[in-house]
Amino acid sequence: MTMTKKSKVLLFGIGNCGRADDGLGWAFLDKMKSQLPENYDYEYRYQLQIEDADLASQYDTVIFIDAHKHFFEGGFKYKRCFSKATNSFTTHELDPTTVLYLTESIFGKKPQAYILGINGEKYSLDMGLSDAAEQNLLKAISFFKEEILLQTVNVLS
Amino acid sequence: MIWFLVLTIEVENIMSQKLVIDPVTRVEGHGKVTVHLDENNKVQDAKFHIVEFRGFERFIQGHPYWEAPVLVQRLCGICPVSHHLAAAKAIDQIVGLDPEDLSLPTQKIRKLLHFGQVFQSHALHFFYLASPDLLFGANSDPLKRNVVGVAMEYPELAKKGILMRKFGQEIIKMVAGKRIHGIATTPGGVHKTISAKERAYFLDGKDIPSVDTMIEWSLEILDFLKAYHINNKDFLDTFAKYSSGHLGLVNKKNGFLELYDGHLRAMDAEGNITLDDVANDDYNQYFYESVEKWTYLKFPYLKHLGREKGWNRVGPLARLNICDGIETPLAEQERQDFKAITNGAINNMTMHTHWARLIEILYCAEMMKKLLEDDDILSNDLIRKGERRNEGIGIIEAPRGTLIHHYEVDDKDRITRCNLIVSTTHNNEPMNQAVRWVANNVLSGKNEITEGMMNQIEVAIRAYDPCLSCATHAMGQMPFELQLFDHHGDLIQEKIRN
Repeated sequence: MTMTKKSKVLLFGIGNCGRADDGLGWAFLDKMKSQLPENYDYEYRYQLQIEDADLASQYDTVIFIDAHKHFFEGGFKYKRCFSKATNSFTTHELDPTTVLYLTESIFGKKPQAYILGINGEKYSLDMGLSDAAEQNLLKAISFFKEEILLQTVNVLS
Repeated sequence: MIWFLVLTIEVENIMSQKLVIDPVTRVEGHGKVTVHLDENNKVQDAKFHIVEFRGFERFIQGHPYWEAPVLVQRLCGICPVSHHLAAAKAIDQIVGLDPEDLSLPTQKIRKLLHFGQVFQSHALHFFYLASPDLLFGANSDPLKRNVVGVAMEYPELAKKGILMRKFGQEIIKMVAGKRIHGIATTPGGVHKTISAKERAYFLDGKDIPSVDTMIEWSLEILDFLKAYHINNKDFLDTFAKYSSGHLGLVNKKNGFLELYDGHLRAMDAEGNITLDDVANDDYNQYFYESVEKWTYLKFPYLKHLGREKGWNRVGPLARLNICDGIETPLAEQERQDFKAITNGAINNMTMHTHWARLIEILYCAEMMKKLLEDDDILSNDLIRKGERRNEGIGIIEAPRGTLIHHYEVDDKDRITRCNLIVSTTHNNEPMNQAVRWVANNVLSGKNEITEGMMNQIEVAIRAYDPCLSCATHAMGQMPFELQLFDHHGDLIQEKIRN
C-alpha cells in the first residue's frame, strides 16, 4: 500500500448489525474508528450505493470491509480491488468493483482500492457476532494495524 | 436492511416450451407475476403478487409511542423519512398537537427534510431505475438496460442523477443526522435547528452543486422528457393506459399540490370529485381495505364506491391530477403545460407518471431553495406541548403517494394499535391493472414471448415506483417463488429460491 502524508483514505464498513456476522464491517469500524489517523475517514453502509462512486472519487485510497462467507485461511483476506462494469445488480446490491467503475467512468478518478473480507458463519436475525467471527475480526484488526496503519506511520515518519 | 428486488416471470405455453426470464429488475422489493394462459396461448389472467409478509403493525404494539417514528421508519431504506414524518405527525397528536400547532421553524425544518427526501427518491427512480427503459428501449439488451449502461453511454446524465440524489440526501443528513434512518423529530417538534454554516453548504455551490443548480438540472431533465415525448408519443401516451381514480393530499387553503400536510382529495377518471377535501382525522370513515388470497398486499378503496370502483392511483400522476395548482412558478408552468396535453382533463396515461415525477422534482428543488433562504429554519423555537390524547393520525404524501400512519395508545403510553396504509398499497390494484394491460396487449396470443415483451410488464409496474418492502412492512429474507399455471389451472412448475 503506497500512501503519502497527504493521502486520503476512506473505509467503507458494509453490513447489517441486526444480522449477526453480517455486521462484521460495522464492528470493524466500531473498534477502529477511534484509532484512525486524521487522513482516514469512514462510512457505515448497509450496502453500497451508486452515489458512493462520487464519494470514492474524493479519496486516494478506498478500502471496503465486509463479512465474507467463503473460507479464508486465517479468517480474513486483504486484496486489491479493480474496477469492472457488472450488470447483475440492483440499486440495493452494488459490488465494489462496479462502484469503482462508476468512479472512473463518471467522475474520472481512479483511487487505489482494496477489499478486507472477514469470515463470518452466522447470518440470522440476531445482534452480536458469533465467537468465530469475533476471533476473525480481531485477527483482521491486528493485520490492519500492523500492515496498514503501522506501515503508513513508518512511511510518514 | 432493505431487500433488493427480484421480479421474475415464468411462462410456459402448451407446447411445454419454457421461457424463464430471471433478470434482476429495477423495483424496490420482492414481487412475482403469474400469467395464466388458455389452450390458445391467450392470456386468461395475470396477477402481480407481493410475497413479503407484514410485521411492523404488530410488533410496534407495546412500545412507548415516542418510539414509533424511530422504529417504523426501519421498514424502508428508500423512504424512511416519509415514515418518520408520518409517524411524527401522528405522535404530535398523541401529545396534543395538530400540524398547525407546531412552531413555524419546526414546520419549515420538517418540510425541508421532506422535500429533500422526495427529491432524492424521485431522482433515484428516474435516473437509476426508469431512465434505462427510456434511453435504450424496453426491448434493448437487458445487460445494457441498467444504470451502468446509462453511465457508459450518457455519463453526464448519470453524473447529474447521482449528484441530484446526493443533494437530497445531504439535506436529509443535515436535518436528521444521517442519510438513512436518521432521527429528526421529537413529539411536538424537531431535535435541532440548522446553523448558518450548514445552510450555506447548499446555497453557495462551493462543496456541492447549489440548490440553484438543482433547479437548473431539474428543468433540463424535464426538457429531455418532453423531447422524448415528441419522438415516442405513442409509447408514452398509450402504454398501460387505463381509467382509474386518483387520490392525494391538497393544500388546505387553496387546493394546491401538497406533500407534507393537507386534506384528502380524490377524483374519478372523468375528473369528478369522489373524496372532497377530507380532514386527515376522518380518513377512517372513508376507506376500507380488502384482502386477496394470492397476495400479502391489501387493496384499499373508498367505502362509498365499493371494491370494484373505489380504488385509486396515488403518487405523482395522481397528485398532479387532483391539485389546483403549484405554488412555485417554474413547476406551475410545467404543470400547466402538462395539463394542456389532456386539455385539462384527468390524465390516465400511466407512463406520464414519469413526467409528473419530474415536475415534482422541480417543485421540490424550488421549495428547498425557498426554505433554505428562510431565516426561520435557523430559529431555536422548536418544540410545543399540548394536552395528551390517546389517538394520533399522520398522513403525508410520500414520494410514491399517500402514506397513512394511525396509532392508538393506552394510559401507560404504550401503543395498542397501529394501522399503516402505504403508497404502494394504494397502488396495488393500479399495478395489477397495468400488468393485465401488458398481458392482454403485448403477450396474449403470441407464439414467441421475448425478453423484451416480458420487460414491458416490469416497465408498467416500474412507472409506479413501487416499494414492496414498505407495502408489506417486510422483515427478514423471504423465499422467492415462481409459479406457472396451465389452461386447466394446474400448477405445472414451481421454483423457490431462498
